[in-house]
Amino acid sequence: MAAIEAADSHVLEEKKLAVTERLQKRQDDRQAELQKKKSEGDAVTRREDVTKFLDNLNEKRQALEDGVALSNQLEKSELVDHFDSLSGTLQKLQRYVSECTAFLPSYEIRQAQETISNLQNQIQEKRDELLPKKKFAFSKAKKTTEKKVEPVKQQKTNDHTDEIDAAVELAACKFVKQTGQTLTKDSSEINQKDVALVDLTDCTIKLFGAPSAIHMFNLKNCRIFSGPVSGSIFIRASTNCVFVLPCQQLRIHNTYDTDFYIHVTSKAIIEDCHRVRFAPYNWKYNTLDSDYQVSGLDKGRNNWDKVDDFNFLAADVASPNWSVLPESERTLSWD
Amino acid sequence: MGLLTILKKMKQKEKEVRLLMLGLDNAGKTTILKKFNGEDIDMISPTLGFNIKTLEHRGFKLNVWDVGGQKSLRSYWRNYFESTDGLVWVVDSADRMRLADCKRELHSLLVEERLAGATLLVFANKQDLPGALTSEEIRQSLDLDSIKTHHWLIQDCSAVTGDHLLEGIDWIIDDIASRIFTMD
Repeated sequence: MAAIEAADSHVLEEKKLAVTERLQKRQDDRQAELQKKKSEGDAVTRREDVTKFLDNLNEKRQALEDGVALSNQLEKSELVDHFDSLSGTLQKLQRYVSECTAFLPSYEIRQAQETISNLQNQIQEKRDELLPKKKFAFSKAKKTTEKKVEPVKQQKTNDHTDEIDAAVELAACKFVKQTGQTLTKDSSEINQKDVALVDLTDCTIKLFGAPSAIHMFNLKNCRIFSGPVSGSIFIRASTNCVFVLPCQQLRIHNTYDTDFYIHVTSKAIIEDCHRVRFAPYNWKYNTLDSDYQVSGLDKGRNNWDKVDDFNFLAADVASPNWSVLPESERTLSWD
Repeated sequence: MGLLTILKKMKQKEKEVRLLMLGLDNAGKTTILKKFNGEDIDMISPTLGFNIKTLEHRGFKLNVWDVGGQKSLRSYWRNYFESTDGLVWVVDSADRMRLADCKRELHSLLVEERLAGATLLVFANKQDLPGALTSEEIRQSLDLDSIKTHHWLIQDCSAVTGDHLLEGIDWIIDDIASRIFTMD
């Protein structure tokens, strides 16, 4: 028995050694990589070095543009290598910019990213011009269609975020495509469920109960009332609405000219919103207290006026995109 | 020396695994991280920036990076790609309206050179909601079967209840460990 254990432990010992060696090696590699990065002369680490970054970027951009211009004079046999080296330089530049994003103001980051994608396009265009792909006899026709298709595609993917994925059915609990209606759901329908409100115009929706989550999309001139939501509420692409809701998290996107009367136990956030105003939750109905118990929301904690704007991250200046709804303009009773 | 002693000694050596957790906003990334770490999840606000947690699990030191998923933050995801061992992609299974968006963002990550070696775990989160899609439906919607470049697994879970979080994390650690700690 003891012998077996000894043999076992011997084998294990060897395995352990092998594993720790590999781990050590991996750790060393990682450290070496870090060290290398640190010692690279142009690694910028300080806020004051933004100008240095811009100079560096400009210099490299100039060099790349010169490179692109130069390619007209080169022999065809040299072109492949030439373009590869240009792409390589551009990749390095991209990495450099990524590394610097930690301290750069977001404006500079955006500018730098634009510069890079510009350069990428220039290189690609030159390459297409001087080294056309000749897989097919119809290369000319193909090229034009390709070029036309690409921007359209880009456009489409951008729009996608504001579209519904038509392939997927919405959840069972929902109101969709209604105009000029007053619609209600009671607690037996919505308690602990996720609710979807989509494509509504001039509607008043009253949810008497405690849903787990609400997803809302494309609402116009609507008034939405809900009992306490135990999880998150997600609102997109809505205009000229009034929302009266309690929830744990509230996320608002692409929404304009809208008032929120809310009870939020964490913090509300807005992204790509304008002219949205906030006030404390004040809807009342018979079973509100028991619905609060079902939801588990803490009635005593309401951060209705602590709103984070993802498009305006300055800590010391208030975002121009939202405001507190002045008391004189608040609706006090909803009946 | 007994097995336990060896295990203890092995534990002392760093077995560091770096996990990057991404996904659309409202997917539940921070909730997963906090739940896994045994923290309170009632107070979580939408992530402005990122959270980093170092967790000890099964003798591994997990460096988990949880980066905000808002549209305005997604362009910064690339800053976190370096030396990632595993990518945890979190999906709000009840967010049927944005699955196309979700699919597009995921597939654009998978062509990233710096994530080339990473193992992919897809968490089909929020299974506690009655309207949630099953992991099978999500697998089809995100076209996961087309992924040939990464080891991947989809795991249904609920960050609120904690269901199946462990299974997912265990799988990704095992996959990473078998790749990194046995390869020479």
